[in-house]
Amino acid sequence: MITVLQRLDRVARSLWPFVLSLLLVVASVLPIQLSDFGRVAPNLAIMATFYWAIYRPDLFPVLAAFVLGLWLDLLTGAPVGINALVLLLVHWAITSQRRFFQGKSFGVVWWAFALTISGAMALFWVLSAAYHLTLIDPSPVVFQLLLTIAVFPFLTWLLARTQHVVMRQG
Amino acid sequence: MKHRAGTVIRLAVPLRALTQRFAFLFLILSAFGLMLLGKAENVMMERLRAGVLDVVAPILDIASHPVATVTHAIEDVRQLIDLRGENQRLRAQNTRLLKWQDAARNLAAENVAFKKLLQFAPPPRAQFATARVIAASGGVFVRSVLLNAGKRHGLAKGQAVITGDGLAGRIVSIGDGSARVLLISDLNSRIPVLFEGSRRRAILAGDNSDTPRLVFLKHRGRITPGERILTSGHGGVFPPGIPVGVVSSAPDGVNRVLPFVRADLLEYVRVVDYRPVSSEPDIEAVSSVSAGTATPAAADQDKKAPAQ
Repeated sequence: MITVLQRLDRVARSLWPFVLSLLLVVASVLPIQLSDFGRVAPNLAIMATFYWAIYRPDLFPVLAAFVLGLWLDLLTGAPVGINALVLLLVHWAITSQRRFFQGKSFGVVWWAFALTISGAMALFWVLSAAYHLTLIDPSPVVFQLLLTIAVFPFLTWLLARTQHVVMRQG
Repeated sequence: MKHRAGTVIRLAVPLRALTQRFAFLFLILSAFGLMLLGKAENVMMERLRAGVLDVVAPILDIASHPVATVTHAIEDVRQLIDLRGENQRLRAQNTRLLKWQDAARNLAAENVAFKKLLQFAPPPRAQFATARVIAASGGVFVRSVLLNAGKRHGLAKGQAVITGDGLAGRIVSIGDGSARVLLISDLNSRIPVLFEGSRRRAILAGDNSDTPRLVFLKHRGRITPGERILTSGHGGVFPPGIPVGVVSSAPDGVNRVLPFVRADLLEYVRVVDYRPVSSEPDIEAVSSVSAGTATPAAADQDKKAPAQ
């Protein structure tokens, strides 16, 4: 009986990165009615995918990135598949460069994140423009990009804390 | 047996790498496939969207309450700071509105008399449902919000969504207990409108900016910034006369409209159920819906009224 519980416990802990990422996406679509806040929220999905792809790719496989992207598309009303594609490529880019990140300081990781998300948002902009067959003003993307890079240290700290607490025994 | 286990392991490693690569390619192709299906407005995709939103809506409904409480508290503090200034503004506005009220009463009485004279067949009645915004799209290229009401509450695809200020958008996707509203600033939003004064028709096309464009203008001519834009009711889905916004000055030669509704501040909205073919018209409902509509002559009087 104990072994079953232990196994359940382990499964729950190993699902944590994925479940937490889903919840972060839900949090990012909650309506905030503050007049000077603006509509653009930081892209928490790319941040979460980046973080887990570096630190726990075993618990956040490529399928998790795909499902997270679909989840984001469905919740925000974006063309279904567009964020899934972007997150898949982010996941692939990071896991293929995983060795580079080992033992690197946070500054380097932050810089790498800035590079990654710049590429990802540029791709997102191109895909959106192609989907809608019009040239779209890229300024909201640039704004979201800067906001997300600025928020990255806080989210990393949060994810690292939960990783520490929840997966200590995992 | 030992030999066989060794073979399995020797085969398993490259096989695993192969399946992983295959899975990645498969997922990439799936993402493209889903985008194509969505672009083709596939019925299955619509159902998937609505189904997922129905499942998530109750969660968002609960989660958005504390967020609303916090934002209200912050707004309260902000308003307290500006209390004196706001009071002054409201007094000035109140004096102005009282004059308008007089003018409106006179016009309404006159209007009823004229309608009787003309045997006017009033437009169909409209019904309203109120809903709460439970999610705003955090996405950059989508201007939409999610409502906590759906088919169960009498909502349907295509219906107009308004606030006290004017038109906010229309319902594009609907589930049993949730609905997605495409705001007028979204790339895909096209709304038939007309100028209040000149009654010229146009289409209001969103382009992801805060000020949608006016396209397909009938009868080219001078456009005065500040003129009010209303829904025209052409197409039969929207009731005519819902205020949309004012024409803003056009520095780049593109005619743009500054909407009355601040889309990022939506909290409660009303959904208009407007049926173009109706057997029993109702004058009261008409006056509440088409309060903004006026004949050219009446519009002129409107403009002069407060000065009297």
